[in-house]
Amino acid sequence: MGNVIKKSIVGIVVGGILFGATNALGFPFVFQALFFGYAMLGAIVFIILDLPTLKPFGGVKAVGALIVFYSILSVTFIAVGSMWPQYDPEDEKGKIDKILKPKREQYEAGKVDVLLQRAKALDEKAKELTARLQALGAAQAPADQKAGGGAAPSATTAAASGDLAKLGEEQWQLQECYNCHKLNGEGGKKRGPELDNIGNLLTAEEIAKKILDPKSYKAEGFEKEFEKGKMPDKYKDLMEPGDVQALAGWLAGYKNASVNTPKPIKMK
Amino acid sequence: MKIWQRCLLAMFAIVAVLGGVAYAQAPGAPPVEFPYTGNRTAVWIVAQLHILFAGFILGAPIFVVISEWLGYRKQDPRYDRLAKEVTKVTVILYSMTALTGGLFIFVLLATYPQFTTWLINHFFLIFAVIYPLLFIGETIILYMYFYTWDAWKGEKKGRHIALGVLLNLIGTITLFVIDGPTSFMNTPVRAEGVSPAEFLASASLWDKVFNYSWMPLNLHRLVGNVTFGGFIAGLIAAYMFMGAKKDEERAYYDWMGFVGNMIGVGALLFLPFMGYLLSYELCDYDASICPYMMADQLSMFFEMQGAMVGLIFLASNYYIWLSMKRIEGVERVRMTVIAPMVMVLLPIVMTKVLTDYPVPDATSLAFLLPLLLAPVILGRFIPLTVSSSTVIKVGFLMVVVGNAIWMTPHGFVPTGAKLVAELELPSDWNFLALMPAKNSAAFTLIFVTVVNYVIYNRAVSQGTIVWGKIDFASQFVLVFLAFSAIWTMGLMGAVRSLLRKYFHTYNLLPDFTAESFTPTLSYSAWWITGITVIFYAVVSFAILVTLRPTDSKGHAHEGSPVPAGAK
Repeated sequence: MGNVIKKSIVGIVVGGILFGATNALGFPFVFQALFFGYAMLGAIVFIILDLPTLKPFGGVKAVGALIVFYSILSVTFIAVGSMWPQYDPEDEKGKIDKILKPKREQYEAGKVDVLLQRAKALDEKAKELTARLQALGAAQAPADQKAGGGAAPSATTAAASGDLAKLGEEQWQLQECYNCHKLNGEGGKKRGPELDNIGNLLTAEEIAKKILDPKSYKAEGFEKEFEKGKMPDKYKDLMEPGDVQALAGWLAGYKNASVNTPKPIKMK
Repeated sequence: MKIWQRCLLAMFAIVAVLGGVAYAQAPGAPPVEFPYTGNRTAVWIVAQLHILFAGFILGAPIFVVISEWLGYRKQDPRYDRLAKEVTKVTVILYSMTALTGGLFIFVLLATYPQFTTWLINHFFLIFAVIYPLLFIGETIILYMYFYTWDAWKGEKKGRHIALGVLLNLIGTITLFVIDGPTSFMNTPVRAEGVSPAEFLASASLWDKVFNYSWMPLNLHRLVGNVTFGGFIAGLIAAYMFMGAKKDEERAYYDWMGFVGNMIGVGALLFLPFMGYLLSYELCDYDASICPYMMADQLSMFFEMQGAMVGLIFLASNYYIWLSMKRIEGVERVRMTVIAPMVMVLLPIVMTKVLTDYPVPDATSLAFLLPLLLAPVILGRFIPLTVSSSTVIKVGFLMVVVGNAIWMTPHGFVPTGAKLVAELELPSDWNFLALMPAKNSAAFTLIFVTVVNYVIYNRAVSQGTIVWGKIDFASQFVLVFLAFSAIWTMGLMGAVRSLLRKYFHTYNLLPDFTAESFTPTLSYSAWWITGITVIFYAVVSFAILVTLRPTDSKGHAHEGSPVPAGAK
């Protein structure tokens, strides 16, 4: 017991020092608490190291101990997994729905096409049977055979309505461009260039070209990233033409000369 | 388990596959709606269970053959017994692999019929010819390997070991083959300037198999399976140690637990590098995967991974600590003072060096190699030494420090979009959240573990091991290691699958169902735990039914002929 108390005190003292030091260094509270937690983990480890030897036991006692042990592990792992900040799937569901909407429409249209083809095939068969029946002199088959179905619903794109700038910004969020590009002081800038002044360097058409074909322009200072193909070559397949135009048009409006957006070099 | 029971299981698996195929082929059949779990989680459960069983039956034979060979070479029957006992469990779990595999295909076809048939069409030769042939071949060789164990002894042992090598060869090829479609779903073939769908139409089967993440996934799974198999061998030993009635049995299972743990930890040391290679290739394939993993939706999954890896390293080193206690004369073992000094300096120096010379710049080695070799080289000239327990305790401290660095996030938010100053690391300390610091942390855990094994070996050579007298708590450590390793496998398997985002096949075939979103870590933790518990229950049952009866009758069979009429 003395060992436990001694190690616990050491843990609390070290944790307190870490808490104070991180506070003085400007760490947010949550990190101060985290470092305190690490100190306590260290204390627990050192308490366990000096625990007295556990004598062997078997039979029902061992089975019971194992079941209790498994239960503790299960509850602990679920609890630890639940303690971390949780991503809200609702944030993503709306986004995914918007991104997949045009593809879903194409897919559904494809399904309608298949149904139409089947209906046409049936119609052909019916006509063939009617002809055979007529040839045999049987009763006249219904003359009116409808092919059925109208035209496939035309694919509607989000770009067809609404404000272009709003749609451009929406695409910026949906395609998560902020992961690699900084804009309005937000987002990453290590993988890709900051874009606040892109409107002074490229036209909307040129930006659209870069989105659709990442190898068409290279940003100065990002030669390594360009060579490695860091900008995914997938947007021509993922985005609708209207969405690309909206995003490019919205970005072309960014003409903040105080931001050092790297100069694009035409490659193709 | 009797042969007829295994046949029955295999039959059930085949019926499940055929039923699933027939169901999927029915014109216009709507996908099945799984109650309570939903379709995606239903697939998740059976897929994960199948992979766990498959991981064991592919990983265990690797060290089984090595163990058998060691037994033959050293003429130490313990190695042969270990190999045979693990093979017994492997045989029974092989049936479970087939059963869950059949169930997996059935559930997949029932829930995602269009996607599944699409995938089968693209890999028709693999699914219809190569994989079944390999599976049948592996079944035949495994049963031959098991049933010829006693017959092919003495001079024929070499032939038996060769059969084991063949089993591993087929097993590894099977793994590599099935990794083709699996990795394809993450990183389908592509070519610059051509749309994935267009390129896919002209791609050969080899193009599809040899995709970006195929080889990294092969390596990661191969090493992971050995780790996993080692820890399960430790679990078998722990169960048998707890149930042992005699000292000699306890001595044997104590030894087996140590060997299992050593195999598990030995392979575990390579796992962070294999994982790094896989994630590097995934990020190289599509840069947007990286932030999704590390900064956005899945970032907290990696926090959990850090916690699990830290716990596994703490537990495996604690096992060494307990193992040292059963060595007589351990108090005389000492080590150069430079070793604990390097342990303390390593995370700091390595973070600085890797920041200045990021991977793969080899300049970093010019600084790190001398540091790592300092205990060996300088230790010869500096006579100052410390006790083994001091070195190990410093090691524990550094495992906690390393784990703390690994688990320190850039922000306490589930996604970068929600980052605010109150939850973000101060900019001066942001290096703690970057890759150089994380790599240094991982390397510190590895370095400490290696040093602890060096001390253990030194203790063994200078003292005497009293097998069977290990602290009983060590058996719970073995159980913990197996449970945690399985749980971590489940977690990282979920991450790999979720990296496809809202696609069945990344950027190629969207998943239009309502379930194509990133689940929360909490939800995932519930299911991973559930899957782990189910797997554990089956494995525990398999260990008990295969080893317990043999254990009680074993000596009469193998070792001690009893004269007729003796009472």
